[in-house]
Amino acid sequence: MATLPETRRVLTDRRAILTLRQAHYRWLIALAVACGAIVVFFPFFWMAVTSLKTAPEIQRVPLQIAPDHWLNLTNYFEVFKREPFLRYLLNSTVVASIAAVSSVVVSSLAGFGFAKYHFPGRDVLFLAVVGILMVPFQSVVVPLYVWMNDLGLLDTYAGIVAPDLVSVFGVFLMRQAIETIPNDYIDAARVDGASELKIFLTVVLPSVKPAIATLLIIKFMWSWNEFFWPMVVISSREMKVVTMGLMSFTNMYFIEYNLLTAAAVLSILPILVIFITLQRWVVQAVVMSGLKG
Amino acid sequence: MRRWLRIAFPKTQFDRRNRAGFLFVLPALLFFGFVFILPLAQSIAYSFYKLPPGGERQFVGLRLYEKVFTDSTFWTAIQNTIQLLIFSVPATVILALAVAIGLNGIIHLKWRNVWASMYFLPFATSLVAAALIWQWIYDPVYGFLNYLLSMVGIPPQKWLQSLFQVRPAIAAVSVWVRIGFDTMIFLAALQSIPGEYYEAARMDGANAVQRLRYITLPLLNPQIIMVCILELIFNFKIFDQVYATTQGGPAGASQTIIMLLYDTAFKYFRFGDASVMAVFVFVTLMVVTLLQWRLFRKPVEY
Repeated sequence: MATLPETRRVLTDRRAILTLRQAHYRWLIALAVACGAIVVFFPFFWMAVTSLKTAPEIQRVPLQIAPDHWLNLTNYFEVFKREPFLRYLLNSTVVASIAAVSSVVVSSLAGFGFAKYHFPGRDVLFLAVVGILMVPFQSVVVPLYVWMNDLGLLDTYAGIVAPDLVSVFGVFLMRQAIETIPNDYIDAARVDGASELKIFLTVVLPSVKPAIATLLIIKFMWSWNEFFWPMVVISSREMKVVTMGLMSFTNMYFIEYNLLTAAAVLSILPILVIFITLQRWVVQAVVMSGLKG
Repeated sequence: MRRWLRIAFPKTQFDRRNRAGFLFVLPALLFFGFVFILPLAQSIAYSFYKLPPGGERQFVGLRLYEKVFTDSTFWTAIQNTIQLLIFSVPATVILALAVAIGLNGIIHLKWRNVWASMYFLPFATSLVAAALIWQWIYDPVYGFLNYLLSMVGIPPQKWLQSLFQVRPAIAAVSVWVRIGFDTMIFLAALQSIPGEYYEAARMDGANAVQRLRYITLPLLNPQIIMVCILELIFNFKIFDQVYATTQGGPAGASQTIIMLLYDTAFKYFRFGDASVMAVFVFVTLMVVTLLQWRLFRKPVEY
């Protein structure tokens, strides 16, 4: 009996040491995570800082981090003077908005159909839609280009946005969301004599607002950042989207990085603002897409 | 067939309802049919025809395949793409896993969110912008990276203009862009692991490394496999970063398969050759995806 207090004391001591060591350990991990985050963030900082420097400033040796004047916006004015950059931003906004809205409309309709009806072949069709994920866009781009050419849609908004109108991810997301609506709600509306379309509009859509928001944001973002298809379909200066507009500031031989970074800031800023304010939804979508592959 | 007829000519309320359901799905089906299935079939068809611009198309069987597959530029592009994959995929997955575990260990929720969103920011930027920012950091004369190296006495490197450094340099851009995405997936999975598992392991005297080895990693296995496959597919299709910076140079050292496809189709307008590459890319990625499904079916062993 006499040994009991002794043991207890040792135990508490060991636990105290353990927690102390753990606390150190936690601090070290937190520090490493924070350092990594700063490294990841650095290119954004460097882009913003460079966009505020003059051409001689960025060629200064030794390199100087801070710009001479923090409010030097001449590069931004120069970007708008050299290229119709406002037009590029407008083009991207139009294309991304159409893609986002159409994606929400078509995907939520399809999601409703797949989640709540029992037409023959439903499961096979859904599997086929998921199977589309296996088809890389690059594998269908040549025939699509030929079609657009035949239809006279090259270098038009319709042509740019056409392959972007719906995505498998959207159908998937909406089906998943609509599946959680209790059937009772839908049946109750039916008893009240609502048509199927009316049920969709008055019962289904209002209950999946978060999923709609998620899809709107993520689709807008993807479409805004699109580069491959616009490169194929756009040929005139006026129709360029903002990712292509950025390319106007580069060439093989000499790049004015102060202008290029200013243009990059202009191209990234709108999407970054949306992204940061609505990050919760985006994360949800990523986790969703991730969990479903 | 009878069931379809009943939907087409509904007699009961139930059939009419299901017809509505099918009509809801129809726009999406039509879209995917016209934008993916039909063009895919056409890509396959094109790969058997010689298609000179403006000229008559001509069936040539497997001749285009023979031509593309015996062309050394094609194999160089494949080699470069695989090298890029080797540089970027393991780095992205391992770093993302480490970051996610680190983030998960931060108890202070507000700080955890701040750091997490910083890792996630590059995901929102276009690959073109990302690559161009990095090109500036890589600049051999005025770039920030060489400035950093000069502080520890390393002479300036040529990065994107070097035959040997160009692929790791481009792979690093991909890592930067993708790390946040993967981290989010891992973090969500980590948060779904019940805390009791770790409690129990701690009771049994397992240290941090053992807990990682025997609890975290096995439970994260499905996500790790999935992220690896996603990264593999993403990086196999690499185009934007290369096109925006090196355009395949120097001397073809960063020419990737999609770059080659793009040039073949839209610079030289050799649609037949490009379609052979399109079919090749499709088949390769299909095999990878099917492999993923196989791996997923297999029960995870703990």
